[in-house]
Amino acid sequence: MTLLFYVACSIVTLNCVSAEVAHQFQYAVRVIGSNYAPTIERDEFLVSEKIKKEFLKQRREADAALFSELHRKLQTQGVLKHRWSILYLLLSLCEDPRKPSRGASYGALFAQALPRDAHSTPFYCARPQSLSLSHPERSGLAQNPNSMGTSGVSSLGMYSLNGTTTAPQFLLAGHQTAGESFRQPLGSRLAWNLPPTASHFSAPTSRGPLLPITPSARAALRQRRDVDSHAEIGEGALIRDILYVFQGIDGNFIKMCSQANCYTIDEKVPLSRSLRDTSNRLAELGWLHNKVRKYTDAWSLDRAFGLVGQSFCASLHQELKEYYRLLSVLHTQLQVEDEQGVNLGAESNLTLRRLLVWTYDPKVRLKTLAALVDYCQGRKGGELATSVHAYGKTGDPYMRALVQHILGLVSHPILNFLYRWIYDGELEDTYHEFFVASDPTVKTDRLWHDKYTLRKSMIPSFITMDQANKVLLIGKSINFLHQVCHDRTPPGKMPVPASKSTDSPRDAVELFTDLEGAFQGKIDAAYFDTSKYLLDVLNRNYLLLEHLQAMKRYLLLGQGDFIRHLMDLLKPELARPATTLYQHNLTGILETAVRATNAQFDSPEILKRLDVRLLEVSPGDTGWDVFSLDYHVDGPIATVFTRECMSHYLRVFNFLWRAKRMEYTLTDIWKGQMCNAKLLKNMPELSGVLHQCHILASEMVHFIHQMQYYITFEVLECSWDELWNKVQHAQDLDHIIAAHEVFLNTIITRCLLDNNNRSLLNQLRAIFDQIIEFQNAQDSLYRSGLEELQLRLQFEETKRERQEEGEWGVTAAQEAEESRHVQKFQETIPKMRSQLRILTHFYQGIVQQFLVLLMTSSDESLQFLSFRLDFNEHYKARDPRLRASLGASRGRRSSNM
Amino acid sequence: MASAANMNAVRETMDVLLEISRLLNTGLDMESLSICVRLCEQGINPEALSSVIKELRKAADTLKASENSAS
Repeated sequence: MTLLFYVACSIVTLNCVSAEVAHQFQYAVRVIGSNYAPTIERDEFLVSEKIKKEFLKQRREADAALFSELHRKLQTQGVLKHRWSILYLLLSLCEDPRKPSRGASYGALFAQALPRDAHSTPFYCARPQSLSLSHPERSGLAQNPNSMGTSGVSSLGMYSLNGTTTAPQFLLAGHQTAGESFRQPLGSRLAWNLPPTASHFSAPTSRGPLLPITPSARAALRQRRDVDSHAEIGEGALIRDILYVFQGIDGNFIKMCSQANCYTIDEKVPLSRSLRDTSNRLAELGWLHNKVRKYTDAWSLDRAFGLVGQSFCASLHQELKEYYRLLSVLHTQLQVEDEQGVNLGAESNLTLRRLLVWTYDPKVRLKTLAALVDYCQGRKGGELATSVHAYGKTGDPYMRALVQHILGLVSHPILNFLYRWIYDGELEDTYHEFFVASDPTVKTDRLWHDKYTLRKSMIPSFITMDQANKVLLIGKSINFLHQVCHDRTPPGKMPVPASKSTDSPRDAVELFTDLEGAFQGKIDAAYFDTSKYLLDVLNRNYLLLEHLQAMKRYLLLGQGDFIRHLMDLLKPELARPATTLYQHNLTGILETAVRATNAQFDSPEILKRLDVRLLEVSPGDTGWDVFSLDYHVDGPIATVFTRECMSHYLRVFNFLWRAKRMEYTLTDIWKGQMCNAKLLKNMPELSGVLHQCHILASEMVHFIHQMQYYITFEVLECSWDELWNKVQHAQDLDHIIAAHEVFLNTIITRCLLDNNNRSLLNQLRAIFDQIIEFQNAQDSLYRSGLEELQLRLQFEETKRERQEEGEWGVTAAQEAEESRHVQKFQETIPKMRSQLRILTHFYQGIVQQFLVLLMTSSDESLQFLSFRLDFNEHYKARDPRLRASLGASRGRRSSNM
Repeated sequence: MASAANMNAVRETMDVLLEISRLLNTGLDMESLSICVRLCEQGINPEALSSVIKELRKAADTLKASENSAS
């Protein structure tokens, strides 16, 4: 055989120097001698078919017929044992006759073939030539048979590519990485072993000895590799392993290393570094897959994980399914290769490098998924959607699309919750995933305030706080209508938008991405309609505004004639000790007062709610201290007039009632003064005391008038106007409630009822007490004065009667007694005077103290009140503290400015 | 007789192969073809053989070219 070969060599290299022949022979022997398994199928039929195809390509149909005739003849003879072999040889050596002479074309041919062959070497990447050369070849695959038929091996590979591959992506990949199965190891070897020759790739014709970088050299190297592979693992085995690892199953060589938490190849397995490297890189995919898989396995069966979590798992599953599809395609490819023999169509074989390219995209996907899984660990519901949404904020459109898709699936349940909630008011959130939470223990009377709350953590980041609040409000309104107002208006009458729910997850994505537009619009529309309807129902059926006005009229003493009359009627009752009061008596009086005044024209709905209430009695209280009006609220309006609100009203009413009583008392005092002034005129010894009384009374009247003015106009009416405006323009019930609360708080603060003004209020109470005391003092003064007057009148009367009877007017004894009596009375006058003086002193002291406190108050209106109370600086002139504090307050104000 | 018939068959086979070779334009003459056939019958890998042949041809061309340029 060797001899034969030598002959062959010498024949081919005819006319050559024998040394050269020997050299070539050595080389040829090395190539042939390596026990190299053929890469082609040992099928005569296939080879003959290929030959026919070759003829057809060259448009030699007649020759094709001739060949099949000859082939048939050959088959009948049966001399040859390896018919396919010789046929294959001939096919390999086949030349297109239309080509120019063989000798001239060789150099060009190999130069053309080379760049493609060495494509995978790193040195070649930068060569523009490789691009320009490989392109026409690729594109001319079908149309240009001339270039195809030139280089035997590579063209054969191309045919097999066309003939046997099925999956289009393989075809595509096969184009790009044509012939990589051999070239990959070759390339790396070239890179390591032959770096100097690399520079000669571009000039294959320069010198003889450098020629080995040609297909035959490749073959030689390839064979050497297979010799080596007795020790190493074959690439095929490795690929098989890798495919298992992709599914998270340990392979023969590549195993999960629990310490490092990654797939590693056993160190002892003999393997070249490049292969080891590549497989390590590929094995990462398995790790990522495991991670995602573990998450879905752990959660998809956990029902408590909730719908959002389930749909997240489902979307992960979907992605994994795609991935499995790819794996199954790869498996099929591997199987086909196994069945057809290892080296059919070298161009379409599975190789590690090819896998690396094909799994690039799935790897990116899996990486994203794994990151998502990591990030979403332990989250559920809206929180989960938030995390997914956070991952969608990336510049990579591919990743964004993926995350967007998952987000669509994940947010779909949330969106369903949302639509159920804002259109039907139903909350079917078994796993507490939605951002509206309901507290089932709350009764209907607190439904508006306490039953529904926002779960802040569950608000997905793509829904703003404002929107979440609106959503909460919409559903709350609907529930309020249903449960509290018992308004079961059918949905047709209720303003419900036409599109009720989303049909597909895609809608969800569109809604959530287009936040400014449709979604916002939908929420706004629902919000507007529902709130408006609710307010309508409250105003129309439950007379909310009328009740509000009634509160002001009765509890805040707005209905003057009624209050005055009530006080008139109640006065004798209330003057008694509180323990002797009976509610039914007072209720009767209240009704009388209502019937006698303009209050009777109010609607019965309001009047029937008006009631008397007695506060807790403490010892020593009079009726004045415990009496108060009450207004019953229930049903829907109790949502606005809550228990706290009513207690505020009660406090304000008590304060106002007290102030009113002072006014009433002072009126009484004044009346007494006016009536008695004439009677007591002829008791000159009393005039000093009376004058004192008048002065003090007018001081008090001034004070109370200013207080009343302040309370009525600066506090009540101003706040009321504000409230009324707000209520008229309120968009939802919350606005009304808020406005009402503001109103009450303002009143409480301005009426000195809050904690900051406690000292002021105490002073005011003391002033009120002084007024009462003054009334008592003056009453006793008048009583004794009138008694005295009566006695004197009686004395005069008897004197006159006696004189008419003709007796002595007075006896000496009577005279003496009378004068003693007058003396005694006159002695009581200084006592009264001093008592009055003490009272005045006390009163003025308290008022001054009150003014000082008003001055130092931070509220502007209170400061103005102090100016009004002391308009002529009467108190200021008397009290140095007031002067000082005035100056101080002025200084403070100027420094503030 | 048997050998004569055998020889006949062989010759016929070779003729057929030569014809195919000509059709395929392989550039092999009778002598080299017979050597190749015999090598193939010995079980050589045809792919390897074809690459060797091409290689050798190319080397020969280069040599001729260098000789031409030298002379």
